[in-house]
Amino acid sequence: MDKEVTYRVGIPVTGMRGESLGRLEKVLLMESRHQVTALVVRALDSMHIVPLERVAELTASDVRTNIAPSEMQGFPVFDPTQYEEVPPWFFPPGHHIELGALVTIKPFDVREQGEDEAMTRRAFMGRSVAILAAAIGVSLLVPIGGYIMAAATTPVKDSWLDLGVRLQDLPVDEPVSHPFHAFSVSGWMRVSEERSVWLIRHSGASDPLSEPEDKILGLDSASELSNSDPRLTVLSPICPHLGCEPQWHKGQKLFICPCHHSIYQLNGKRVSGPAPRPMDQLPVRIAPDGSISVIYEQFAIGIAAKKRLA
Amino acid sequence: MGHKIYAYLDERIRISSLMGFLLNEPIPGGSRWAYIPGSMVLFVLILQFVTGMMLAFYYGGTPDHAWDSVNYIDHLTYNGVGVGRLIRGIHYWGSSIMVIAVGIHLLQVFLWGAYKRPREVMWLVGVVLLALTMTASFSGYLLPWDERAYWGTIVGTNMIGLVPFVGEAIKAAIRGVLGLGALTLSHFFTLHTMILPTLFILLVMLHMVIFRRVGPAGPFSGTPEKLEATKDTFYPRQVLMDAFGMLGIFIFILVLALVRPPGLESVANPSNASYSPTPAWYFDWIFELLKLIRPEIVGVVGLPVMISIVLVLLPFLDKKPVRSPFRRPFAVLSTLFVLTSMLMLSLMAENGYKKLVPVDRTAMLRGEKVFTMSGCIGCHTLFGKGGKIGPDLSEEGLVGHSEHWLTVQFINSKAHFPGSIMPDFTYLTPQQQHDLAMYISSLGRMGWPDPTKAP
Repeated sequence: MDKEVTYRVGIPVTGMRGESLGRLEKVLLMESRHQVTALVVRALDSMHIVPLERVAELTASDVRTNIAPSEMQGFPVFDPTQYEEVPPWFFPPGHHIELGALVTIKPFDVREQGEDEAMTRRAFMGRSVAILAAAIGVSLLVPIGGYIMAAATTPVKDSWLDLGVRLQDLPVDEPVSHPFHAFSVSGWMRVSEERSVWLIRHSGASDPLSEPEDKILGLDSASELSNSDPRLTVLSPICPHLGCEPQWHKGQKLFICPCHHSIYQLNGKRVSGPAPRPMDQLPVRIAPDGSISVIYEQFAIGIAAKKRLA
Repeated sequence: MGHKIYAYLDERIRISSLMGFLLNEPIPGGSRWAYIPGSMVLFVLILQFVTGMMLAFYYGGTPDHAWDSVNYIDHLTYNGVGVGRLIRGIHYWGSSIMVIAVGIHLLQVFLWGAYKRPREVMWLVGVVLLALTMTASFSGYLLPWDERAYWGTIVGTNMIGLVPFVGEAIKAAIRGVLGLGALTLSHFFTLHTMILPTLFILLVMLHMVIFRRVGPAGPFSGTPEKLEATKDTFYPRQVLMDAFGMLGIFIFILVLALVRPPGLESVANPSNASYSPTPAWYFDWIFELLKLIRPEIVGVVGLPVMISIVLVLLPFLDKKPVRSPFRRPFAVLSTLFVLTSMLMLSLMAENGYKKLVPVDRTAMLRGEKVFTMSGCIGCHTLFGKGGKIGPDLSEEGLVGHSEHWLTVQFINSKAHFPGSIMPDFTYLTPQQQHDLAMYISSLGRMGWPDPTKAP
């Protein structure tokens, strides 16, 4: 009886014919008899009780604690409803266990074996749950993120709008605010909108103001560069400062924004005021019969770069 | 960092004891795979909530935009990935999987005898949740506003209209207008996205609170001592099993959404005579059963009422404490019978969806005159007018009777319904019979409500 028997929870339990019954989960103690009566074995599907008289390799006398009854007063009482397994801190080093109606043979203290980082089964299952939850969460949230961003990042399809006006009908060197019908697309809805652009017909390439300022400063995109015409400049009606609408002042031959007095020349060049860049030039095509089409582009306001809004 | 936040919260709101209460729930007899269906239902419900909110992001709930917006969602891409179709696919298949999961959960609770004392109240709340699930499926069906949605809802709301006394009022309240229109769609949208989710949240919480009050039923066999000895806590083993189940269901729904994305039929067209509506697959068995039960009202009203009564009264009628299905042969055999019948009826329905009779317009117009001349309106209601002796024929064309069936019905209705009091219109010429059959077949299908006004 001086032999100290330590059973590790989780050791395989084998049946009489050598078949696997599962793994040891708990050892039951009948408190009145101070005797171990049964093993609780966890199989894959559920837990089973194996009465001790059916256990071949373990007898009641094998199971002992190395604590004298007098010593037991000093130990904490383990409440089996609070913990699924005996917590590792429960045992003083070198001791086995003592608990209400339940005796669990002390697991090998993994720390004694040098496995400081070894996980308990509970922690392992907890971590598995976290991994599974994260797998579901990520594979759901990633498409949702894309879904939310999808509409905003869908590129606008450029469409040429025929303005219904011909070059030869425009006055020379005199900007005309030309209203037209357009559709603004918002998701699944097309809304009819009234818009306008400034049309400026130039007297000739010799005119110093026939070249748009955007082009001189190199602000234009490839589409704007390839779709320009020396006979006509098309300017956006939106002031690049804060989005007001500059008006043409005939006497001064200047565009003046009523909001903050940004002042521009005929070719959109900023003369004075808070605007960060010239008035925005839009792509234009002129057909052989003189009819004018534009792409109504919109740009970010308040910045020096001519940044197209998607 | 995480530990510090946890410690901070623990000191103030005692988070450990809360987590302990939630996770250390004792499970008599230990964790089992058999206990996961309830968690699966909850998981799919949450999945439906999340994807449903996403769909509402881009949905326009009016008849002139609903279809466009769903079509827009179907074509939403992000970096070339069809995220819109994926989200809609998850929601679409999620509703089917939800119905299956609820069915399995109900079946398991029934077979385990877990509805018995003291869990009757939990069972009743579960029955209400089942009704909510069905209502959610039905109300979500209309929202894409395509042909299937429109005609399915016409039939569904007509069934409600058959309920005695209150049916017409309920139908009118749901539809908002005589036919299906803007009001119907916004009613269904509100029901589907505001009323039902609120009720779901409240009742699922109630279901869970009751569950924690009475505790899990545990296995149906075993002595209390054994169950106590093999007791397990909810965390971690049962949680892990639940998590595996959830991952499995999630992957299943994802694969369905990717491999069989939900279709969108052409936009609802109330004058489409050739459309033959079919219900969602989980209503197939009802659909088939309704064709077998005459008069119609018994099936349409009696069947759901009977199912509800059985489900509601079950824990009060079956008071024997014995839970094991092996000692409840009647319960198990009747379950098997119901399941087999549902499966057979569903298969019959899937095989038997027949095209509605193609309507010849000129014959239909002549048929209307035959209808008026023969005085059918004296007994039958049409578009809210006429007698109440015979059934309302306003949408009879959607029932799917063949021309032969209709002709027999005109000249010898007792061949179909032995107790019928309908006179035999034997004086109708074969030409008149054909014309009248055409007219009846067109009712509710084209030029709603009056088929003769179709363009």
